Amino acid sequence: MNSATATAELRRPTDWKGSAMQNRIRRRYAAERRFKLLGLLSILVSAAFLAFLLVTMIGNGARGFTQTEIRLPVDFPRSSLMLDPAALAGFGADAALAGADIEGTTAAAADAAFGAGGARLLSDGAWLSVRDAIKRDPAILRGKAEIWVPAATAIDLAAKGNAAPAAEAAYGKLQKADVVRTGFNWTFLTRADSTDPTLVGIWGALKGSLVTMFVTLVLAFPVGVFAALYLEEYAPRNRWTDLIEVSINNLAAVPSIIFGLLGLAVFLNFMHLPRSAPLVGGLTLALMTMPVIVIAGRNAIKAVPPSIRDAALGIGASRVQVVFHHVLPLALPGILTGTIIGMARALGETAPLLMIGMRAFLASPPGGIMDPATVLPVQIFLWSDEVSRGFVEKTSAAIIVLLVFLLAMNGVAIYLRNRFERRW
Amino acid sequence: MSILAILFLVLGLGFVAWFAARAKAAGFQPENGIRPHSRPGHHGWYVALWAIVPALIFLAVWANIAPGLTMAAAIESPAGAGLPSPGMERSAILSEVRGLADGRIQGGFYPKAQEMLPAYKAARMRYGIAGASLALILALAGGTYAFTRLRPDFRARTRVERVVMIGLLVASLIAILTTLGIVASLLVETMRFFSKVSPVEFLFGTSWSPQTAMRADQVGSSGAFGAIPLFWGTIFIGAIIAMVVAIPLGLMSAIYLTQYAAPAVRKWLKPILEVLAGVPTVVYGYFAALTVAPAVRSFAVMAGIPGASSESALAAGLVMGIMIIPFVSSMADDSIAAVPQAMRDGSLAMGATTSETIRKVLVPAALPGVVGGVLLAVSRAIGETMIVVMAAGLAANLTANPFASVTTVTTQIVQLLTGDQEFDSPKTLAAFALGLVLFIVTLLLNIVALRVVKKYREAYE
Repeated sequence: MNSATATAELRRPTDWKGSAMQNRIRRRYAAERRFKLLGLLSILVSAAFLAFLLVTMIGNGARGFTQTEIRLPVDFPRSSLMLDPAALAGFGADAALAGADIEGTTAAAADAAFGAGGARLLSDGAWLSVRDAIKRDPAILRGKAEIWVPAATAIDLAAKGNAAPAAEAAYGKLQKADVVRTGFNWTFLTRADSTDPTLVGIWGALKGSLVTMFVTLVLAFPVGVFAALYLEEYAPRNRWTDLIEVSINNLAAVPSIIFGLLGLAVFLNFMHLPRSAPLVGGLTLALMTMPVIVIAGRNAIKAVPPSIRDAALGIGASRVQVVFHHVLPLALPGILTGTIIGMARALGETAPLLMIGMRAFLASPPGGIMDPATVLPVQIFLWSDEVSRGFVEKTSAAIIVLLVFLLAMNGVAIYLRNRFERRW
Repeated sequence: MSILAILFLVLGLGFVAWFAARAKAAGFQPENGIRPHSRPGHHGWYVALWAIVPALIFLAVWANIAPGLTMAAAIESPAGAGLPSPGMERSAILSEVRGLADGRIQGGFYPKAQEMLPAYKAARMRYGIAGASLALILALAGGTYAFTRLRPDFRARTRVERVVMIGLLVASLIAILTTLGIVASLLVETMRFFSKVSPVEFLFGTSWSPQTAMRADQVGSSGAFGAIPLFWGTIFIGAIIAMVVAIPLGLMSAIYLTQYAAPAVRKWLKPILEVLAGVPTVVYGYFAALTVAPAVRSFAVMAGIPGASSESALAAGLVMGIMIIPFVSSMADDSIAAVPQAMRDGSLAMGATTSETIRKVLVPAALPGVVGGVLLAVSRAIGETMIVVMAAGLAANLTANPFASVTTVTTQIVQLLTGDQEFDSPKTLAAFALGLVLFIVTLLLNIVALRVVKKYREAYE
């Protein structure tokens, strides 16, 4: 009797319309919504971080591309500068300029124009602008001239609304006299490192990066492509091939700083190649980039359908001809995409280059692959360590330049992928 | 004549050889109705290779032995008499001679060097001419020999292709060489380090201070090399704080992108993660040091937490976690995509909501893949250098306070190797020992992770 009631109880259909079930379903739907929201939120956290990072960098860095200049009146005939315009006409001009006390003249002119302590309103390198002006037109030595020279860091920051009250006041006075202007900072794009933040430029580091990347590309691309071709097309299945595959996959996962240690021990201490040279940097980065190219290359080669190989073999091509006339051209867009992505990674790499000494202070861009050089990310690292406040915006500006390059490279990679990659 | 000029001459000869051979081969007529075995281009390459390769090998050898021969000749010359016996002074003079001859040094310090300069220059001239002519003779001889062998039935293609195959094989062997190079260089330097500091002290000591002498009686007597605080700092930042940030965010991002987001939304959100993965680490490091670290510190001060440092573990770990998100997300994406559709359909058909299906079916089924991905992410985080160099401190503290300063293995490697140090001090060698530990740990993590992922893939195939 009892058990019969129990069975009946069990068999009673679920009351979906009942409040208990309705509540349960509501709870489950609420949980569903919460879960979905959580997923969206976690993506938005990444997006917010990225946006914050970019806004901070652009906010700081945009100011690094501008430069405050002061119009400096110089009365050459009455200055202490003993420089004959005729001496600057031809040969020996550089020697004459180097011998003249332009620095003192500039400081004296600033004191005369802006009162005592006027020289402190100008950048330490203001005299370089005066020298360049004289070089451009020696005739100005015969009379009074007005030359635009870079302002000191404090004035520069004041012009950008970011400085101590004293500098603000000095800037206000200059503004009233209408002798300041803020313009695009060409110096930043054309000069190399300097100890004065108003005089630094990234061209030195950028050129170092380009030379290093060139060495990397020349070494890593052929080796990577050949290794990928060998492994995909010719390698017999044996223990040696496995060993090669395992080492390539491991190399792709080895921390980059280990490559720096390798470069230091092998290229510098064993082979005695010059320290800080783009050649060594390029070699080190090539070892790091090669596995990326091999892996991307193998995927691209794998994607070429076997029917193409069969067709070529069928009409009498040799295996080398099949690969070099048919497989490689068809896989090339994929290989290039992978290469560009690997090169972009190498361009942003810092740690291994610190190990091989590409962190020297260099006031001039490198002339070749054996000259001491530094690269863009290392320059950013070095500037980030500087105490002077003027370097903050220069660091961010350098980061913007680096990001623009990376963005451009990735853009090219995406374009190549979309334009040339074929789906078989 | 410089090596570079000879190189271009040899390459030019190869170019000429290629054209000459190709022109000759193009003139081959079928014999008895049988066409020539190889195409003209193959004949061209065959002769060009014969012209270039032996000469290049000779030049490579010559570039290495010529300076020694030149110097020996200069020492043998009458001007080289009266040199001091082998030692510091002799090698200083010799290197000055070399510098003067290359134009690297202007005025000399040793009069003896000036004296030897003409003899050295003459010897260099002699050997330069000898090397150049030998290389050119080799190139000509090789090219001529190969050229005379060309016949319609000569199998040039087979030979050229054999060379191509050797080239491909050599290219792929470079990977093995690199791995061997890493292992050998790390091992050799580490052995030298362990001859000065005992491995037990290095691996289990808790005091790290390589800069100053801690105890006078210590081996190496230049500091304490107990690396436990470094290992802890690395694990704390890379494997704990970073993963606390990266695992939930990465996993949820992957789930949202693959299970919920409409294709149009995904098209816009996915590139955000890709951009995040492409930002160079030095930029993350700068951001961590400039913005995140001060914020973390002022938060800690506000909350009254003791030991707050502006180089906190938390700042570095947080930023590193964000950096790792795309990596975790893409690994989770792959493993969730690998779960058979039937399991998902089955769960949905039973009336489970999407989130219930994900939490109770998809994620448990994909768990091995996710775990493998997390292990790979950890191996990446502990090898990461720039963020910790710029945002984490140098003080080797054994602390679990995330607002305090800790240091990591990679920070210390950079720190130890970027000073002006003689190369065999224990301080410099310690960097290689740390590098070896890092290499072994990341290698093990990768091997385990790949094995886990592979096993799990096989389970569903």
